[in-house]
Amino acid sequence: MSESKKITRSDLWKSYFYSLGIESGCSTTKQEAPGFAQGLIPIIEKIYPNKEERAEAYSRHMELFLTEGRVAYYCVGVAAAMEERNAMEKDVDPESINAIKVALMGPLAALGDSIIHGTIRPIMAGLACSMIATSNYTSPVGTFIFLGVMTTVVMVSRYFGIFKGYDTGLMLVSSMQAGGILDRLTKYAAIAAFIVCGGFISSLVWSYTPIEYVSGDTVIALQDVLDGLMPQLVPLLYTLLMYYLINKKKINPVLLIVATMVLCCVLVYFNILA
Amino acid sequence: MSLFFQAVMVGVIVWVGFLDKAFLHTFIYRPVCVGTLVGLVMGDLRTGLQVGVSIELMFLAVVFVGLAIPPDETLSAGIAAAFGCLAHSAEIGIATALPIAIVGQMFRQTRNSTIYEFTQRKVEQAAAKADTKGIILWTSIIPSIVEGVLFGVPAFVAVYFGAGYIQSFIDFVPEVIISGLAVGGGFIGSVGVALLLTTIKTKDAWPYFLVGFFFASYLGINMIGIAIVAVVVVAIVYYADKEKLKKAGGE
Repeated sequence: MSESKKITRSDLWKSYFYSLGIESGCSTTKQEAPGFAQGLIPIIEKIYPNKEERAEAYSRHMELFLTEGRVAYYCVGVAAAMEERNAMEKDVDPESINAIKVALMGPLAALGDSIIHGTIRPIMAGLACSMIATSNYTSPVGTFIFLGVMTTVVMVSRYFGIFKGYDTGLMLVSSMQAGGILDRLTKYAAIAAFIVCGGFISSLVWSYTPIEYVSGDTVIALQDVLDGLMPQLVPLLYTLLMYYLINKKKINPVLLIVATMVLCCVLVYFNILA
Repeated sequence: MSLFFQAVMVGVIVWVGFLDKAFLHTFIYRPVCVGTLVGLVMGDLRTGLQVGVSIELMFLAVVFVGLAIPPDETLSAGIAAAFGCLAHSAEIGIATALPIAIVGQMFRQTRNSTIYEFTQRKVEQAAAKADTKGIILWTSIIPSIVEGVLFGVPAFVAVYFGAGYIQSFIDFVPEVIISGLAVGGGFIGSVGVALLLTTIKTKDAWPYFLVGFFFASYLGINMIGIAIVAVVVVAIVYYADKEKLKKAGGE
């Protein structure tokens, strides 16, 4: 009975460091497979005594693997648990280890991409940008806050991924799906992202028009009229227009960046913007 | 500091950024960080920050989804910020950012489908022999050197040999383009925010967009304050959901 568990916490910590290279040497056909095989080195070396079994195990993990690099740690944890069971009890079909990795790839990528890259990173980066812009480009404090928070987020999510993945295995994902936790997480992320996006308009987008209407002694500046109507009106409308073009018309954002630059040059030429 | 040393440092910063992409992923590769570091090295922090922030806003919500490789923000921020600092003009940096990002994208695409196909085959051979040293060599060590050669060295070359052409580039570009780019820098954030909006999955949460807009634009609350508003609202919704689930479970 004591034979059934061989992997210790320190083995998982070793695997944590070996798995840092999960996105290194990422090729078009196999993507993160080399990194995944490297991540399992401490586990496979420990649990399989003879070389043929080890070679088989490494080759098994050289199949295509692609998910968000931080949540991939969850797969490393699950794979470690399954490899261990395969080595100790021999009641796991080795083919199923890959099948489960493939089944996890999609949901995990959606989770990692939308929460880390789609919500936390842009929010923190936008925060850093607005802090730098507010300091009139003199203080790099925003940059360091961004780095500090993001480093903590990625390191901690890796830790939970590998240890929870090993401990609870597949139960966690299935219980999360059954309890609707994934759906709720997506909803909370959406609420936070919408609020922050609304807040970004005033700090990340700015415009000023020098157009004035002069009648005798009275000078009416168009910018004052616009501000009286609604603060940040032009930035808001322009952002919504960009959203419409990207979302509904499927226009490439890079093209929109170029078009925005060209449009601004033209409008500056005609003294409509300054 | 001599230009040679500065160019070497820019190359090193870009290399470190690419290593971060492959390993630690602390997001030091983001333009806002690269711009800050390049600004410090080039002795013009202000321009470095301006260029870094502008490029960060262009790529604010570009999410690496599946197989598609987006224009590369790291190489772009490194070289463009250095050019901006050399010319003491953030606009020069912003103007050169996009073309460099596209070149970086092409480099990465080629790298993944040629060099890394080769190294991946080497890893496979090592795996078949259970050779752990071989796996590490071809997964971590060789690719790290490849990143330096493919991105660090070109950044050095661009800054060291391109520096002489920057003044003639400034003389060549008309004044209206320079001020147009400065105004455009203010609008670029729109594309970034719009992209971020498209990535949000639950569209019926849109009224919260107006909550954020109201607090920031009408009340002038800064971004940390907006983050607090977001935490409060999410907490309220979370507890309301919990209550609802409890009631549903009780029935």
